[in-house]
Amino acid sequence: MATVSLKRLTKRYGNMEIVHGIDLDIADREFIALVGPSGCGKSTTLRMIAGLEDISGGNIDIGGRVVNDLPPRSRNISMVFQSYALYPHMTVRENLGFSLKIAGAAKDDMDRRVAEASAILGLDELLERRPSQLSGGQRQRVAMGRAIVRDPDVFLFDEPLSNLDAKLRTQMRTEIKKLHAKVKSTVIYVTHDQVEAMTLADRIVIMRSGYIEQVGTPDEVFSRPATRFVAGFIGSPPMNLHEATVSDGRLVFSRGDSLPLPGQFKSKTAAGDKVVFGIRPDDFYPTGHGLSSGGETEVHRLDLPVSITEPLGNETLVFAEFNGADWVSRMLNPKPLKAGDRIGMSFDLSRAHLFSAETGKSLRN
Amino acid sequence: MKGFKPSAPILLLLPAFVVLAAVVLVPLLLSLYSSFTPFRLTRPETFFVLIGFRNYISILSNPDFWWAFGRTVLLLTIALNLEMLLGLGLAMLVEKATRGQRILRTLMMFPMMFSPILVGFQFKFMFNDNIGLVNNALQSLGITQDAIPWLIESHLAFTAITIAEVWSSTSIFAILILAGLLAMPKEPIEAARVDGCTPWQTFRYVTWPFVMPFAYIAMTIRSLDVARAYDIVKIMTDGGPAGRTELLWTLVGRTAYSDARMGLANAMAYFSILLSIAFTVYFYNKLAAARAQIGAEW
Repeated sequence: MATVSLKRLTKRYGNMEIVHGIDLDIADREFIALVGPSGCGKSTTLRMIAGLEDISGGNIDIGGRVVNDLPPRSRNISMVFQSYALYPHMTVRENLGFSLKIAGAAKDDMDRRVAEASAILGLDELLERRPSQLSGGQRQRVAMGRAIVRDPDVFLFDEPLSNLDAKLRTQMRTEIKKLHAKVKSTVIYVTHDQVEAMTLADRIVIMRSGYIEQVGTPDEVFSRPATRFVAGFIGSPPMNLHEATVSDGRLVFSRGDSLPLPGQFKSKTAAGDKVVFGIRPDDFYPTGHGLSSGGETEVHRLDLPVSITEPLGNETLVFAEFNGADWVSRMLNPKPLKAGDRIGMSFDLSRAHLFSAETGKSLRN
Repeated sequence: MKGFKPSAPILLLLPAFVVLAAVVLVPLLLSLYSSFTPFRLTRPETFFVLIGFRNYISILSNPDFWWAFGRTVLLLTIALNLEMLLGLGLAMLVEKATRGQRILRTLMMFPMMFSPILVGFQFKFMFNDNIGLVNNALQSLGITQDAIPWLIESHLAFTAITIAEVWSSTSIFAILILAGLLAMPKEPIEAARVDGCTPWQTFRYVTWPFVMPFAYIAMTIRSLDVARAYDIVKIMTDGGPAGRTELLWTLVGRTAYSDARMGLANAMAYFSILLSIAFTVYFYNKLAAARAQIGAEW
């Protein structure tokens, strides 16, 4: 087990810089998720840690050892690939034991470790099959088994669940979480799915265009997003984000509708500032039908017309029209609504966010 | 023609059937029949004398035939293995090329564009003991002072033929193996690198099993090719010196046209085809096994 530390890590292809000198310290046994939209450099970063891509600048340190110039085989890492990357000509047993065979492990040691991994992942029935005879979920388990038999310093997961259907993905997500609880090791997990990142990781690294936007626990990145991008990326349905201008203690939106400036931002803004106002669907709810705890100190109520509703069973998403735009809200105790109905909406302003329109940075601090 | 009205498909296919029967089926049956006669081109009436299996018995007890048979198998073994190794090497080098891969692929196919007869002439010239390029080069480089009798000494002649054969056909292996390498998913290779494989182990355990079916396809094609080798040998040595490079089909050709013993030649030909069938069956089995092993879905 080991710490991983990235210092000014940079990747260039020709003149194009893909990863712009990122710094990241990962603690021993920590589960880190790298998350971001496609093309943000998260997979490239992972592949650099694995040694599958050369690095153009900076340092990678695994367990106190700079590994910049070491080939993948000398880094003592395991990797699970998006396409599983099983060896098609080997049985499940041979796939699991391959790295041990290459390392020259003794036969009985190899058998024991393969049996352990197979038991953890429930592969006992499949050991003599070939990858082509397995379903997607089974292949995924074999790929994970192949990673754990080696007892590596670091596990690298490259979007391991994105080839599975939605139901299986949820199931495998739970399995990965259980697995990490069992094998207790440092994990770096790349995904574009913020739900996977939120549910699995100890800390989440949100990347965008080759930069790190924010590093934090799932709660931190959800409740205190550092940038407008993070606010919009984390959370489903996404946060309502709308540009406004500060004027006379109020936030005035583009079409003239306005809200009071939340108290905590009063000292942090001046009249005329261009800002982005953000509020999560949970904090903008039909009065009496939302997540209200009863302890709110700064609730602003308005009657708004409903433009559309999306019933999801356990809750209903209500899109209310404010300042000419649809603002999404969650209704936890659904009542029948139709488009055009007016409904009393509550803005919990104490939980609202404000970002600089220019830099996108949060004005909270 | 009352009462007989063949349907349209049969009518439309009939011309093709007639042509095929005339140029394939009838000659095939006639040649098979003639292998049971003492037919000589100079004595047409012998075509109608049936002698049973006497031709077959006579070739099977003829040492010259067995030498030719053995030499063909030897050439096949050596040439195929060399072509396989060289083709694999070439394919892996070309696959590594990041720029100009298309042009390299085209260049690689050049030898296949020449008629085997011309390849024969070219190598006959190159291996000529007096004016040939090979001896000239060896002497200029100071490696030898002698004029090496490439096409005159029997082992050297066999070597020269093998080189010509390998030169002209290595590209078949290279192209097919390259196709395999390009079709191969890259992730298992990366997985192997992470799993601790050296480049050689990656090749040995991951790349090679994947490319193997492609190599067997090339083997099948080439085994048929070499088993009927005729043109290059005919031009370079004409089976000489003293029949020491005689292969099956040069022997068949000589028996049929120089000696005019068509019946005997046809018997040899039918026996030789067994060799080709045996190799085809062998490599097809290998191919099927290799495909099953990588779980190929094609």
